Amino acid sequence: MDGIHDLGGRKGFGAIEVAEKEVAFHEPWEARMRGIVRAISAPGDWSIDWFRHCRELIDPVDYLTRPYYDQWLQTYAAMMVNSGVATVEELSTGKMKAAVTGLRPPMAPEEVETAKKTNKRFDRKIDEPPAFSVGDTVRTQSHGAPGHTRLPAYARGRRGTIKALHGAHVLPDSKAHGGNRAEPLYTVGFDAAELWPDAEDMRDRVNLNLWQSYLERG
Amino acid sequence: MTEHDSKTVQKIHEELHSHLPSEPALRVKALESLLIEKNMVDPKTVDAWIDVYTEEIGPKCGGQIVARAWLDPHFKDRLLQDGSAAIAELGFDGAHLTVVENTVDTHNLIVCTLCSCYPTTVLGMPPNWYKMAAYRSRAVRDPRGVLAEFGVDLGDNVAVRVWDSTAELRYLVLPQRPAGTEDWPEDRLARLVTRNAMIGTERDLTGRMKETG
Repeated sequence: MDGIHDLGGRKGFGAIEVAEKEVAFHEPWEARMRGIVRAISAPGDWSIDWFRHCRELIDPVDYLTRPYYDQWLQTYAAMMVNSGVATVEELSTGKMKAAVTGLRPPMAPEEVETAKKTNKRFDRKIDEPPAFSVGDTVRTQSHGAPGHTRLPAYARGRRGTIKALHGAHVLPDSKAHGGNRAEPLYTVGFDAAELWPDAEDMRDRVNLNLWQSYLERG
Repeated sequence: MTEHDSKTVQKIHEELHSHLPSEPALRVKALESLLIEKNMVDPKTVDAWIDVYTEEIGPKCGGQIVARAWLDPHFKDRLLQDGSAAIAELGFDGAHLTVVENTVDTHNLIVCTLCSCYPTTVLGMPPNWYKMAAYRSRAVRDPRGVLAEFGVDLGDNVAVRVWDSTAELRYLVLPQRPAGTEDWPEDRLARLVTRNAMIGTERDLTGRMKETG
């Protein structure tokens, strides 16, 4: 969707706060929120893509101004209400009105040891062979998507070169909306001059990971 | 069953905006209390995850990977070929990790313009600036300006490769090994490597050699 989250290349955001203290968390509530997200027993039809999409749907002013983990809170609260596991009133008061049924028990502390070494995989086996090979010239689709997508606006309708193939991966555009489609995933390299009218150096390049349906032969 | 409908969630966001407690700390407290009461979260598990991210998983993990790559050329080859498999040899798990190497004429920079994807399994929690609009908007369009703000002067002969993390592949930059560290042991080399060097917002680690006793 054409949301405020799609920030690549937008102008006017100014200087980066490079002097930030190097710590895992700046506030105790940030650590709690991060921990909750790892510990929660979530409905089985949630996914990382649905989470990202729900974060994209935050009010644009909130998206740019509220602290990062506060946005996670807002996103989880919205996902809970949407899935019927909590109400706005319960989330406002912190007090349960109705119990939830049908969820797995929450992760126990002793399960963290194994869980921290186990990362989800997103590659899938599919029958269809990849349409493009390393070295092929491709052009990205020129229009945006109505829902969730991982083709940033700055890279729409641009010519690039296939740099690598990664087999098939879960397609976020499908998964975020309850589907399960997987497609070949590629690394596509774009010359800076192809992307930006004010590119600084002709040798610079931006590499993106893009799914097959984002691409056509260029 | 979850309806994955954008308009519905947008409306819920609006409603939450005007009803949740006023401060983030209070909002998180209300959420955690509710999740405990609904048996969706064990607070001791939350504590355990915070310990993991505060004490165990952080830039020192990435530093160990880089130090090994500097010392063992065969490991380095495997690391650049298949990052996930190579770091598993050192006991780290990073599904879909790709390692990109800085050289005399190439500099790599990692960003996620669409959200905040970061190589968490080897670098821990990302800095705030990595997740904020200024870095995310500028890293792909003005990488040399961004690097200058971090104090990196690339000179005339270096091309920039920006990696926008649009999928579940995660990137780690393999920085250049400073001259004069030839006889350093692995643990000292690992301490030389900074978080920013592995994101790509630092390039030359020579200046840190004195600090790394």
